[in-house]
Amino acid sequence: MDSSFLLSCALDIGEQMLISGAEIYRVEDCIKRICSSYGVKRIDVFTITSSIIATLEDNEHRNITQTRRISSYKTDLTKLDKLNQLSREMCTKKPDLEVVHEKIKAIKNSKRYPLWFECITYGAIAGAFTVFFGGSFADAGVSAIIGVVLRLIVYLNGISKVNQVFSSLLSSFAMCFLAFLCVNNGFGESIDNIVIGNIMLLIPGVGLTNSLRDLISGDIMAGVLRLCEVILIALSIAAGYILSALVIGGAGI
Amino acid sequence: MNIIVKSIIQVLMGTIGSFGFSILYNIRGKKLILAGLGGLFSWSLCLVLQIWFESEVIRYFLSAAFVAVYAEALARIMKTPTTTFLVPAIIPHVPGGSLYYTMKFALNQQWYDFFSRAFYTVELALALAMGIIAISSLVKFIFAVINKLKKKSA
Repeated sequence: MDSSFLLSCALDIGEQMLISGAEIYRVEDCIKRICSSYGVKRIDVFTITSSIIATLEDNEHRNITQTRRISSYKTDLTKLDKLNQLSREMCTKKPDLEVVHEKIKAIKNSKRYPLWFECITYGAIAGAFTVFFGGSFADAGVSAIIGVVLRLIVYLNGISKVNQVFSSLLSSFAMCFLAFLCVNNGFGESIDNIVIGNIMLLIPGVGLTNSLRDLISGDIMAGVLRLCEVILIALSIAAGYILSALVIGGAGI
Repeated sequence: MNIIVKSIIQVLMGTIGSFGFSILYNIRGKKLILAGLGGLFSWSLCLVLQIWFESEVIRYFLSAAFVAVYAEALARIMKTPTTTFLVPAIIPHVPGGSLYYTMKFALNQQWYDFFSRAFYTVELALALAMGIIAISSLVKFIFAVINKLKKKSA
């Protein structure tokens, strides 16, 4: 058996899991289980939010180390579910590695909801939370339109590949700027409720939940790293809001 | 407006939020429905708890614990990672409003209000975290014990 190829497949699955929003424990456990079920002697995995390192010792006493560097995430819980099932299948049925490799490729390219549908969803979420936090239905309408635009801004950020912190700042700035413009020109009554509805879209909920789950599982380092990221993003959302208020105030619109 | 009508509207809006986020996280099919309904149940519970508990922090803790039970149970039934049900169901509890007012006080340089709001936001977030941590640790503990017993008897 090709140990190097086995490790590569296991790491590919782990990498995709981490990108899709898995906890550290799940990633490490999955890589370990896959390797042991294919009969390697020893496997050591170390994972943090941005990197996976694994060393495998096979039956001929060869040591193989491979790493994966993760630079961006995209939460996709269907993909995570499929990867989870693939790893279970590998542990029980031990399919041929070529087959596994093809399956990983297929999962990597599995479909998401189309952009226009995500735009509508952004609008619906923003509008719903505006009412949720006590806004009127008129405010919800304005909030929903800004939500749709916000998705497009996030999309542009995705294309330009700026880092997460800066992209949150940019999105928050643009969103608040639009909200101020709308309210100052007589569309919508309460700037507070419109911005709150849209802020819900920017808060990194998965990051926070996963950082907690990492901390409970004893992956302190990864948990703290994720927590720092969440706090940085929250601060950059605040910075975006304050900047846009200053710009609007300074321009006297 | 009648408080009951108000509550029903709020629950409905929270549910739309949960469904929306489930879609953004690309959950599909039966799991999408279950994930979205998690938001409906958890926020209804949080509102009903108002009858007994005045403190928002305690209510957040209890309904976060409920969400964790819901997510851990469904994850085992549907054979999928817990995150799938945990994150969408917790969404209506995310203290976005509190976070916003914290920012607003900072902007207006109302530092006294800023600090009390900031602490309150952190308190709410901690209540949610503690609710989830308590249940998840308990579940881990229980399953570890069960597995150990199974191995012994086998």
